[in-house]
Order: sequence, then structure tokens, then C-alpha cells
Amino acid sequence: MKHLPKHLRPRWRYLAVELETWGDGSIDRRSFQRECWYAGQNLLGDPGSARADLSVVRFAFDDGTGEAIVRVRHGETDRARAAIACIDEIDGASVGIWVRGISGTIRAAEENYLGRRGQVTEERNVVFGNEERVAVVRDGSADVRLEEAFAGATDLDYDLA
Amino acid sequence: MYEAVHAHPDGESTVARFAKTAADYGYEGVVVRNHSSARASYDADRIGEEYGIDVVSGVEIRAENPQQASGAVGNFRTDETIVAVEGGTTALNRFAVENDKVDVLAGPMAREGDVNHVVAKAAIDNGVRLEFDLGSVLRDHGGRRVRAIQDLGKLEEIVDYYDAPYVVSATPRSHLELRAPRELVALGETIGLSASFVEAGLEEWGMLAERNRCVQSDSFIEPGVERGRYEENR
Repeated sequence: MKHLPKHLRPRWRYLAVELETWGDGSIDRRSFQRECWYAGQNLLGDPGSARADLSVVRFAFDDGTGEAIVRVRHGETDRARAAIACIDEIDGASVGIWVRGISGTIRAAEENYLGRRGQVTEERNVVFGNEERVAVVRDGSADVRLEEAFAGATDLDYDLA
Repeated sequence: MYEAVHAHPDGESTVARFAKTAADYGYEGVVVRNHSSARASYDADRIGEEYGIDVVSGVEIRAENPQQASGAVGNFRTDETIVAVEGGTTALNRFAVENDKVDVLAGPMAREGDVNHVVAKAAIDNGVRLEFDLGSVLRDHGGRRVRAIQDLGKLEEIVDYYDAPYVVSATPRSHLELRAPRELVALGETIGLSASFVEAGLEEWGMLAERNRCVQSDSFIEPGVERGRYEENR
């Protein structure tokens, strides 16, 4: 089909989103997209989420952190931001989510707000709370593996074993 | 803007991790409001210096009944900058707002708790902040979330009518549950709290901390009266 003349094409805004989960867990694009739409539907209702769009156009995730770009209809950015903030779990894993910024083009969103990833993630033995534990360490932060869960810590909280 | 957090061992992340993440997200400070049974040990000055953020000590008193809460308020008032009481029953809500040693009534609408004009007026008289807990809106689903949004709406109507003091928090228990201030403002707007209302509620923690630090400092004698610089040599 012939594409629309320029003045009729929808105007988009692109939300640069940063994601985080415990340890070195992973999240795939498909489940992030599903959660975005669910969150939109739950908070904004069907008409609201149809207006907002919330499609994931870029996604990368490895070693516990990730980045995504979410496409939103112009003028719906605040509602989209609220819906995205309500994403609490993806596939049962709790996630931290943060909208770094909003741009008018995908390229600007990537260049201005993303690209902090690529820090080295490593496993280390640490002493946390008087016990020796394994921690996933990245950029001064550490997720310490306890018996059944993780504890979020930083360099200030543990000694190297 | 400040966020009030439950740190390890009450929550899942340490105070330092909260401070690091909150500084990234653009907060000016974090209030550590661990429950009285799960206190955190941390070096507020070192963490503050490392991550460039204000770390405020606090406590959230969880008690069965007003008698128990009363004892705990007395114990913690001298050491902690911010003393909150976890509401949730009519008796505890009344106790908290009628006690001028309490700074914040946390979760007034949680469980069987409720707020009415009497509670709001008592809160004004004693300077007790009523908390708007956005945590349930962020993390619950379905009917519970609907009720949480209804409760926040009701609380907002009462607080707005009487101009009662309030704070806003997302009550995070780990750094992953922390949300940036702009996200909370956007969320507030979609559920009917205006942007300036949510911002003021997040700022209020900071103002509370500043006031209490001033009151608890050695140079403070009574409102308007402070130890001057000439007194020291006597």
C-alpha cells in the first residue's frame, strides 16, 4: 500500500528505557513487549493503550541489564511513562525500570540516552553480613546471592573474600 | 526530592545500593525507614559522600496497638531524624495523628485503616504527615490496585479540603522497586493526583528531615532561640 503523505503520518516519540534485574538474569524482547502492553492496558484501559501504542522498537538485554526504545504516540508520553513505571515483574523476575529520556527519533534517543552498557559483569566471592557469598558485580554495584534470593549491595557493603 | 525506602534487612537492598540508584534517578535524598524490628546498620555520611546524596535516618514503627507504639515512639524519637508510625487500624491511625512526636503516618489507608475529617484535623494540629503510598498502584494488580487507587483518591480529597500535611512515597523494598520522580509524577497524574501535588509530597520528606535535624542539633534551644556564637567561651 502506498504510504501516507507526510502530514498524515503519525507523530511518534521514542522513550529510552533502561532495565535491570537481579544478578545476571535475562529478559527477552517478546516478554518485555507483552508486559508493556499489559501495563498499558491495566493502567490506561484499552482506548488509552491503543492511543499510546507502546511498541518496543529496539531491545537489548544481557547480564542483568538492558536497554529498550519504546515507541509512543506524540502527546501520550506522560501516560506511557506511568504505564512503564508499573512494570514490576517480567516472567516472574522483578525488574527495575527507568525512562532515561524521550526523543523524536530513534537515533537521537539512542545517542543521547542509551549506550551506557558494556560494563564488565563478573562473579566474585565476597564477605557480606559475616558470611562468604557469591556476588554478581558490575560498575560498583553487587547483587549478592543469598540462599533463596538476592541482596542488592554496593562496594561499600562487602569485603572481598 | 526524597524517597523513603525499606533497606536490608527489612528490604532486599542495602542503604548504599538505594542511595546509588536514587542518585542516578535524580533524587536528592533517601530516608531509611526500616521497621523497628529490622534496623539497618550503615554509615550515612560515607554513603552520602560517595554517591552525592543525602541519607536520612528514620524508623517506621510497626505495633499491634497504641500502647506498644507509644513506647516505641519514645525510644526512637531522640535518635532518629524521622519517626513514622505504620497505620492500618483506626486505633493506630488515631494514635499517630494525635501524637506530636510522630512525623509521618505511613500507609493510613492500608488494611482496615481509614481517614476522615477527625484524623485530618488532628494531623494538622500535631504536624503529622499523612502518607500517599503509591507502592500498591505500582506493584499490585486487579481489584487490589483498584481499591488502592480509590483509597488514594479519597485521601487526596480530604487532604486537599483541609490542607493537611502529607508525603508521597513508592515504599520500595529493593533498588529494583525504586522509580524515578518523573515516573511517580506521571503515575500520579494518571490516577488523579496533580503533578505539583506529587512533587510537593516528595519534597516534604526533605523539608521534614531538615527541620528535625535543626531541632535535634545542639545549638537549638526552642523555636526562634538558638545558641549564639558568643555563648561558647563562657
